[in-house]
Amino acid sequence: MNTNNNWELAEAYLAGKLSSQELVELKSRRETDEVFASEFNDNLNLISSLQSNGSQKRFRAMLSDIHKETAATKTRRTIQLPAHFWRTSAVAATVALMTSFISYSIMNSSKKSDDNYTNISNTVKAIANDQNRLKKIVQDSVINKKSPIVPTSDVRRTGTGFALTNDGYFVTAYHVINDGNGEGDSVYIQSNDGIYYKAFVVNYSAESDLAILKVERKNFQFAKNEVPYTLAARKAALGAQIYTVGYPKEDIVYSEGYISARNGYHGNSKQYTMELPAGHGQSGSPVIDAKGNVLGILTAISTPKESNTYAVSTDELLDLIEKMPTGNKLRLPKNNKLSRMSREEQISKMENYTFSVKVYKK
Amino acid sequence: MYSATNNDQQLLRALAKGERVATEQIYKQQFPIINSWLIKNGGSTDDAADLFQEAMVVLFSKVQNEDFALTCAIGTYLFSISKHLWYKRLQQQQKGPGRLYDNTEDDGAEVGIAYEEDINVHHEREVHFNQLDTALDQIGEPCRSLLKAYYHKDKSMQEIAADFGYTNPENAKTQKYKCLTRLRKLFYSVQAK
Repeated sequence: MNTNNNWELAEAYLAGKLSSQELVELKSRRETDEVFASEFNDNLNLISSLQSNGSQKRFRAMLSDIHKETAATKTRRTIQLPAHFWRTSAVAATVALMTSFISYSIMNSSKKSDDNYTNISNTVKAIANDQNRLKKIVQDSVINKKSPIVPTSDVRRTGTGFALTNDGYFVTAYHVINDGNGEGDSVYIQSNDGIYYKAFVVNYSAESDLAILKVERKNFQFAKNEVPYTLAARKAALGAQIYTVGYPKEDIVYSEGYISARNGYHGNSKQYTMELPAGHGQSGSPVIDAKGNVLGILTAISTPKESNTYAVSTDELLDLIEKMPTGNKLRLPKNNKLSRMSREEQISKMENYTFSVKVYKK
Repeated sequence: MYSATNNDQQLLRALAKGERVATEQIYKQQFPIINSWLIKNGGSTDDAADLFQEAMVVLFSKVQNEDFALTCAIGTYLFSISKHLWYKRLQQQQKGPGRLYDNTEDDGAEVGIAYEEDINVHHEREVHFNQLDTALDQIGEPCRSLLKAYYHKDKSMQEIAADFGYTNPENAKTQKYKCLTRLRKLFYSVQAK
């Protein structure tokens, strides 16, 4: 029997098109002719694999089609809010706003009486020399025409931020934006090539000391590629090796350490305690493990020893992202591209997505 | 022990054939449940779509088998598979000792779903299909396009003969068998690696 016939036979067999007499003949041939039998079995396997692979591919395509369709109709539905709900929702929003102010002031006053817990954003005095650089960069950027926006007033505070998505969402510590003396007038980020971009607050939690912001500029991108790291959804283990990159001064600075306690300041379960050198200006820096997972966001140091550093765990951040006001869709990256890189390579990737956050007030 | 209702059985039979109406019905009933669970557990809607699609494919492959039996409601099955896939993914991402999830709220164990086995079978099948795709990509033209048109896009030999410029379906068929013979060689050498 030639090759084509063998295929034809396998196809007919799978489709159930063989007559009972043909089936009997096939059976006896498979029992007696070993060469034929092994080829026939291979052919059967190959055809049935091709068929099921194909039908699975079509099924997958249909599923993603259904998903797209359903997602599209859903967004249309959410926009329409019956007119008589508006008043109710306005009241609800006001109540929510009041509550967050109250809880924030409580937190803040308790913090003031506590001398050994210091938020590590930079105040204006600490960065006097930054002003000179600022002016220089303003001049430079005017010449380069790279940045149409230039901050006009004095820097109040600086911290560090890092990108959540490449299209402009990023996170920093809330106290960088508001240290209790009121919010700054404007927030800018300064990327490592010195360019300023204006940003606005999208969501924040004073209690967990996190703020999510977005760069104002349309079609903004931090870098060419999607953010290469992912946020850990679970708390990391005690003793995990960690490092951070941030802006305590003009240049990005690297430091490393380990998680020294599962909970943070005064047993705060939403924080980590770490042995990790950190200074003013590093609030909001990412805390990263050896595999390139972001575990937390730097928030404070304890002053008597200056050895303990605290970070807010990323599950708090994920929580905050989930509670985003509607209309803000964050597509967090799914793949951690740092996991197999050396530390040096990880840091050079991180540099593109980590930047100084500056708050201005007239 | 639960068993799938008649309605479920009908749905599953339609699902096995890849019928859109049934698939859509299952999707609309079950996806929101998995989505809201996942968001509470640190995932996004995109993750949920991924997981749900994977779980649906597991179910789809399972019901291809004629003597399959689902010992629980469709929703319970999909939910358990999705959860399991999610925990696996978290474990892979974080390595390390990571917290083991507690099984108490997992209804899967109680209703006797062998989801662990189903997922393993699914993964093995995926590996097998990937090898097949690799072989298909190496085979060269016109075989690649011809086989993809027939097996992936479900086109008839008549359509293929017209699309590829064969004088009649019989010639196209002869070409298909030649391609299959080449593919067989490639595939088994890919598998041997």
